[in-house]
Amino acid sequence: MRTRMMAAFLVTLLATGIAAATPTEPRRGGSAVVAIGSDPETLNLGITTGYAVGAVAASIFSGLVWIDARGEIQPGLATSWTISPDGLSYAFELRRGVRWHDGRAFSAQDVKFTMEQVTGLYHGRFRPAFQNFEAITVTSPQSLKITLKRPYAPLMRLLSVFDCPILPRHVYQGEDITRHSRNNDPVGTGPFKFREWVRGDRLVLERNDAYWDPVYLDRLIFRIIPGAALRVTALEVGEVDQVADFYLPKTDVDRLKRNPNVRLRLGQPIPSMGFMFINARRAPLDNPKVRRALAMAINRVQIVTQAMGNLARPARGPFGDGFKWAFSPESDYDRLYPYNVERANALLDEAGLPRGAGGERPVRLRMVYDAARAPIAAAAAIIRDNLRAVGITVDLQPMDRAVMIERIYTRPDYELTVQTFTSGGDPAIGYHRIYASAASGVPFVNATGHSNQEVDSLLNRAAEVPDRAARGKIYAQVSQILAAEMPTLMLFDEIGVDATRATLRGVWIGAEARDRWDAVWVQK
Amino acid sequence: MVTAGSTPLWRYAAGRLVQAVPLLLGVIVVNFLLISLAPGDPVATLLGEYPAPPEYVAQLRREFGLDQPAPVRLALYAWNVARGELGFSFAYRLPVATLVAGRLGNTLLLMVTALSLAALVGVGLGVTAARRRGSGLDTAATGISLAGYSIPDFWLSQLLVLLFAVFLGWLPAQGIRSVREEYSGLAAALDSARHLILPAAALSFRYMALISRLTRASMLEAMSQDFILAARARGLPERLVLLQHGLRNAALPVVTVIGYNFAFVLAGSALVETVFGWPGVGRLLYDAMLQRDTPVLLGVLLMVSATVVVVNLLTDLLYAALDPRVRY
Repeated sequence: MRTRMMAAFLVTLLATGIAAATPTEPRRGGSAVVAIGSDPETLNLGITTGYAVGAVAASIFSGLVWIDARGEIQPGLATSWTISPDGLSYAFELRRGVRWHDGRAFSAQDVKFTMEQVTGLYHGRFRPAFQNFEAITVTSPQSLKITLKRPYAPLMRLLSVFDCPILPRHVYQGEDITRHSRNNDPVGTGPFKFREWVRGDRLVLERNDAYWDPVYLDRLIFRIIPGAALRVTALEVGEVDQVADFYLPKTDVDRLKRNPNVRLRLGQPIPSMGFMFINARRAPLDNPKVRRALAMAINRVQIVTQAMGNLARPARGPFGDGFKWAFSPESDYDRLYPYNVERANALLDEAGLPRGAGGERPVRLRMVYDAARAPIAAAAAIIRDNLRAVGITVDLQPMDRAVMIERIYTRPDYELTVQTFTSGGDPAIGYHRIYASAASGVPFVNATGHSNQEVDSLLNRAAEVPDRAARGKIYAQVSQILAAEMPTLMLFDEIGVDATRATLRGVWIGAEARDRWDAVWVQK
Repeated sequence: MVTAGSTPLWRYAAGRLVQAVPLLLGVIVVNFLLISLAPGDPVATLLGEYPAPPEYVAQLRREFGLDQPAPVRLALYAWNVARGELGFSFAYRLPVATLVAGRLGNTLLLMVTALSLAALVGVGLGVTAARRRGSGLDTAATGISLAGYSIPDFWLSQLLVLLFAVFLGWLPAQGIRSVREEYSGLAAALDSARHLILPAAALSFRYMALISRLTRASMLEAMSQDFILAARARGLPERLVLLQHGLRNAALPVVTVIGYNFAFVLAGSALVETVFGWPGVGRLLYDAMLQRDTPVLLGVLLMVSATVVVVNLLTDLLYAALDPRVRY
């Protein structure tokens, strides 16, 4: 007993000592090394949605706003904004005294130029919003107004650096934006300035002392490490300080949890989902009854536990449960489509697909997926096994990403595929493309061939209504149709994991691990 | 000066290089057709995971020349290569020559170190095993060779990282140099050398095994020849007999192995470079395959083919230097 008390005392003392020795105030100096999987194809974040580009360029450029870890919108280059009651007019006051990295003054003209000449034309997420712009009016060097043709609920979210990074008009005006030499040596207003890019090896940024908030790190370095396992090893041995969810193999998370030098952020401030497109162009998948049978034959819990290592939640509806306000209990998969082999068999019998002598049904489906993604491959194998239990044969066809894109989206030649999409912070930004039928044939949109005009028009309305409660009702309506017609079976809501060395402080104040490196500092 | 029978050496070398021209043209055509016929759109892989604006996609296709039929693209490519231009990378938006030049030095450093290591250790092991044939050392050398030949490069690479970087913490796990610290001069060279050890060891292991087996066999054969008996009868010290007479004659197959395996070492370096995050040509090739970066793929494959031609020629010339009986 005495020994135990002494031990408890010592532990308390040690903890107090550590707490006393641990500086809690941010300190200037040092560098952080961030692992990325490949060279960015450019550093002009205004012309691409590529992840590696955002990882680096989000610290070079700034957006009008940024999204915090709770998903709330915070002031960036815009210090305040007013939205008219009809949702058609947005007036912005811009931050004063901001300078570009080359010393020139930032103004509202840069914002107008960026939206009209760069992101509005080339950026995959911002462009659809820009097509709804009526006008951008510069009202003073530090203020501007955007007027819309129709209201667009997620507009403010699309003003972050990842969707509309503000570019310098004095550098790009009158030039070829996509092939400009400064795309590899950019001038921004962000907390770090570009210094060096050795392709295949590293990208080095250095502190921008003129940034409006304090920036602590001397240098922010991006190390290009193509192997997923090696990225984690480099984190464990301290050669890199952070590996974001996008680059972190989930199989290593359990090991990292036990490493005292590594801290993890589990959760998904920006929801994303894994799902199975069902090619409704091909019989018998054109029959909703067959698609509903698949929904009941596939064990989503098994996929979450075995393929995703529990770093996901079984999907509960056409938009998952990542956006609580958009979730509808009436179309809850747990109620409508629980894992039930008997009911799946009955539905398949009803659909006129009886089992043959060997117990197999006359259905053979090709499951096409990206071979490089281990969890997706595991999910595909589970689906094959699940469907075998109801007499359906599935042929797994793993292929490399370039070929997969062609086979699924450009020239659809598949029956089933597992894909993951991020929501981009709002269902209208990232999830509508799963179901809307307008852009069929284009990569990363609805590839099922399923088209329902009512769904399309409800999705359009959901994007226009600013009030969340009202939007929730529209999502409830569209969810019911989608749950009944089942063009796509949602499989899981992902739980993201970002990993960092414990010595790095001030991390993750943004929803994205890629954002707000100005606040990060190194604890010695 | 080495001469080649009745033909001057330079004429022989020039003849071989001229013969290489149709070969390289064939390489261009076959590679171009194979890559063009393979499915997968380079533009779609470049533009992130959101639908890109169709006008931008069309613009990129025009810029990359993908709106032209394959025969036109092939003719244009061959014409550009003839003018010394290897094209423009889709993924990096830089000239292929710039990209390859930036990586070539790193790959050569890795390959030359690995091959030198393989030759030094392999010949040493082979000579020792031959000298003490049937001894425990011979059996151990054979065992090491067998292991070296059987273990895949990428697996060995990962084991080396686990042992020397993770558990022992002696060497860096990845990259070509430290990025947190900024070294210069000798410190920078030492830092690079530390980064070089594991990838070079991983890449060399297989060739070390091969060279040691060959050296052992060639040495055993050479040492049973009459000229060795004569050398010994002349009272030459055993060390001289072994190195000057035995090894020199046994060196031919070893030179062949190094020369003719150059292409395989380059192929192996793609794996090792990827595992160790070594920014070399092999990794450039691997990334280009995933990204369907046709100009980079074609450029690197052409460069590799040209290098193989040159190295094979050098190997043949080295033959003549090593063996006076060889004439061209």
